Amino acid sequence: MSERQQRIIDEVTAASWVQDGMTVAVGSPAPMALLRQIIRRGVKNLTVVDSGITLDLLIAAGCVRKAVSYYAGGGFGVPVAPAFRRAVERNEIEVWECEEGILTSGLQAAAQALPFLPWRGGVGTSLPEVNKALKVMQDPIRGETLLAVPPIKPDVALLHAATADAYGNVQHCGGPGWLDLFLYRAADRTIVQVEKIIPNEEIRANPWATTIAGADAIVRGPYGAHPFYSRGYYVQDNAHLRRYLQASTAAAQENRPELLAQYLTTYCREPATLGDYLERVGIKRLLELYEY
Amino acid sequence: MPNNDYTPFEQMAIFLARELKDGDVLRVGVAMPVAEAAVRLAHLTHGPNMELVFLGARMNVAHLDTIPMPAFGWDRRVVRWAESYSDTGHRFDRIKDWDRHVFFIGGVQVDPFGNTNLIGVGSDYNRLRFRGPGSVGTPTLSTHVGRYYIVLNSHTARLLVEKCDFISAYGWGTGGTDAREKLGIPGGGPRYCVTPMCIFEFPEPHKRMQLRSVHAGITAQEVQANTGFALTLPASVPATEPPTPEELHALRTRVDRDGVLRRQA
Repeated sequence: MSERQQRIIDEVTAASWVQDGMTVAVGSPAPMALLRQIIRRGVKNLTVVDSGITLDLLIAAGCVRKAVSYYAGGGFGVPVAPAFRRAVERNEIEVWECEEGILTSGLQAAAQALPFLPWRGGVGTSLPEVNKALKVMQDPIRGETLLAVPPIKPDVALLHAATADAYGNVQHCGGPGWLDLFLYRAADRTIVQVEKIIPNEEIRANPWATTIAGADAIVRGPYGAHPFYSRGYYVQDNAHLRRYLQASTAAAQENRPELLAQYLTTYCREPATLGDYLERVGIKRLLELYEY
Repeated sequence: MPNNDYTPFEQMAIFLARELKDGDVLRVGVAMPVAEAAVRLAHLTHGPNMELVFLGARMNVAHLDTIPMPAFGWDRRVVRWAESYSDTGHRFDRIKDWDRHVFFIGGVQVDPFGNTNLIGVGSDYNRLRFRGPGSVGTPTLSTHVGRYYIVLNSHTARLLVEKCDFISAYGWGTGGTDAREKLGIPGGGPRYCVTPMCIFEFPEPHKRMQLRSVHAGITAQEVQANTGFALTLPASVPATEPPTPEELHALRTRVDRDGVLRRQA
């Protein structure tokens, strides 16, 4: 009998699972090691299920054709993510307009192989007018007006978590990023980058802590969520995120693309691996963030 | 500092804090400094059984002397106060129990019936003049919570418009006490619209925004000049009940210690 197949792959191989035109879901904590590899490979025309600054970065890097997004704020006093705003206003990308409950209903419909799930939030709004995929329906039980939300089915979900074994058993630290579980359930394939790979024995010692039972691939990713937080390991690098937002704002609103181009080159395109990236961030900065 | 000894944002926060009742579950999203201050102040002064929910971090910290404002709405360090945490996908797990829940909403446009728009501005969805951040969870929250407050960081005719280009949260639709019931929308709808100049209410039976009170130093005519729809102005408009010295002291020493509401005016 052959041995059980291990699922650990390197980040370059993992990113090659993402091909032009696919639908890709991005989790939180942010799977930044994987996202940077996708940017480095120059993947195009993605439909991304994503929000916030990671969505902005993928748009700024030219990877996105369509955003399934319920929220594209920038944070730090930037009400709308700058690259997102510019790309939508110039009609360069399409938005699958939704909100939190509609998003999770669509993901759940995909996971459970249903043609739709009903949701009430959004009745009376413009959402079904600007997103024709959402249908106003009368429910057959009580005759109430609801929205029918079709499946949102990612080809690949990209996630970041605390630990996993070689067989795709993932354990989060201090409670999972719960949207991540919707993304995993809905997606055809899931890649999880983790802070630490642990022995299968450790998983079996506490199977109740396993949050994702069967990720398709595991990638070594210590500090792999930087500049975002990783629960139980490190806090968010707000100074780095502010620098990114300044660069993205300058490119989108002031017609000064140099800072953003420099950011993408320095942090996304030149570093061949996560290790190369972390060298650029610097050990001193990383150690400053090592608290939770 | 304008308006005697307090800023319009301080007035707004104190007005809202008085509105909140012990036992309320208060849900606050991002970029809402006035609401963030109001729920903290109410919790400390008269809400030992309130629950504060900041982006899913649910807490009761009425025993603390101070509840400072985080510098950044997404800062996960608010979790240090939390008794439980619900991330995206689980914040809407028990909608059936949202009668006691209260939330605060902003918008890039607000119309006289309290419908709000976070999608964008422009006549053509595919050619927006301004793209907003998106609906977040406001369509569901506005549908189901017992009551909510529209809280605006500025008061301009561009923001307060006769008709929203797009509606992301349904308030009172095109008006009427039954506007929500007709669509089967169960929540209590918007109660007040609170701005740096005034408080608007939604009186029955038409539910069209009407001036309830103006903040110190503001006239009804100034409100009309900065509002993009016609207001029915009574002969005299009451003044918003000003903060008491005790309320201001509590706000400044126990909540807004960094002066966020004093700087933004």
